[in-house]
Amino acid sequence: MLVILFTIILTILAYLGARYLFMRYKSPWLNVVVISTAIIIITLLVLDIPYQAYSQGADIMTYLLGPATVALAVPLYKNRLLLKKYGWAIFVGIGAGSLVSVLTAVFITIYGGLTREVIISIASKSVTIPFAVEISRLSGGNAALAAAFVVATGTFGSVFGRGLLTMMRITDPVARGLALGTVSHGQGTAMALLEGEQQGAMAGMAMALAGMLTSACAPYFLNLWIK
Amino acid sequence: MLKVVKMVGQIVLLWVIYWLGNKIMSMTGIAIPGNVIGMGLLFVLLSCGILKLEYIEEGAGFLLKHLLFFFVPYAVGLMNWGSVFYNYGVVLFVAIVLGAIIPYFIVGHVVQFFHREDKQC
Repeated sequence: MLVILFTIILTILAYLGARYLFMRYKSPWLNVVVISTAIIIITLLVLDIPYQAYSQGADIMTYLLGPATVALAVPLYKNRLLLKKYGWAIFVGIGAGSLVSVLTAVFITIYGGLTREVIISIASKSVTIPFAVEISRLSGGNAALAAAFVVATGTFGSVFGRGLLTMMRITDPVARGLALGTVSHGQGTAMALLEGEQQGAMAGMAMALAGMLTSACAPYFLNLWIK
Repeated sequence: MLKVVKMVGQIVLLWVIYWLGNKIMSMTGIAIPGNVIGMGLLFVLLSCGILKLEYIEEGAGFLLKHLLFFFVPYAVGLMNWGSVFYNYGVVLFVAIVLGAIIPYFIVGHVVQFFHREDKQC
């Protein structure tokens, strides 16, 4: 019981500390999830607390993730006029991007000889964690691994995403926002917001729609495709 | 104090919608996650005006502001996966990097193409 309380307090403090650092310096290298996770893992290893003890607290802490995902409908609703205005471009762009993102990751890991559990877990790397966790659960992946791939993708996108888009001559603010949100979920959205309000709104919408679309289609096809 | 009560109430309301989403999933047996159904449900409720934005706006804002917090406990689960990263690190790295660059290109150019067409019309 005491251990659970300790792990929860440790997680909250590590998160707040990492968040403070990011807000203060605004550097994409100061990734909140990476820093807090590193602090927690090191503390657990030093104090010799096994992961099993941490996971009980983890279940309590992630309890609100479900309602938090439902809350993503709010930015979607607020931007419904943009959705109407750019309807086609948005749906085709996000749909194609989500599909290609899943296919690329799955093909590379299949040819790299990884196990089914890892392949399924990396398939959902471009959608935000609550979606990725559910996709993993419905198709036989691992939640922690799926979450790690999501964070890795988001970190890559937040550091290199904007530069890459410029190199690819993607200059339209709507296109830039949608690409960042579709591929690099919340972390990409944060970077899109730094670029401009329109990019940010588009990225937030892309994150929500890509998550819905991938969760609705991926478990079915992954179960059929990868035995 | 009143602000906290209001926030908690709004989060409970979001939780009820999430719960309904899960119920719909288990009753119909479709392979769409309950949180996605809940999100769709909330969007419909807002669009039809059944639920007003101010009933949930603050609670939703709080949860989304701290969305990253919920990622942390999952990421700590990586402790158990050290050997996979050690053995297959290069493959996973390539999958992450190409799996971002190629879709960036696709989304960006597809949207630019359609967006330009729209402007001509």
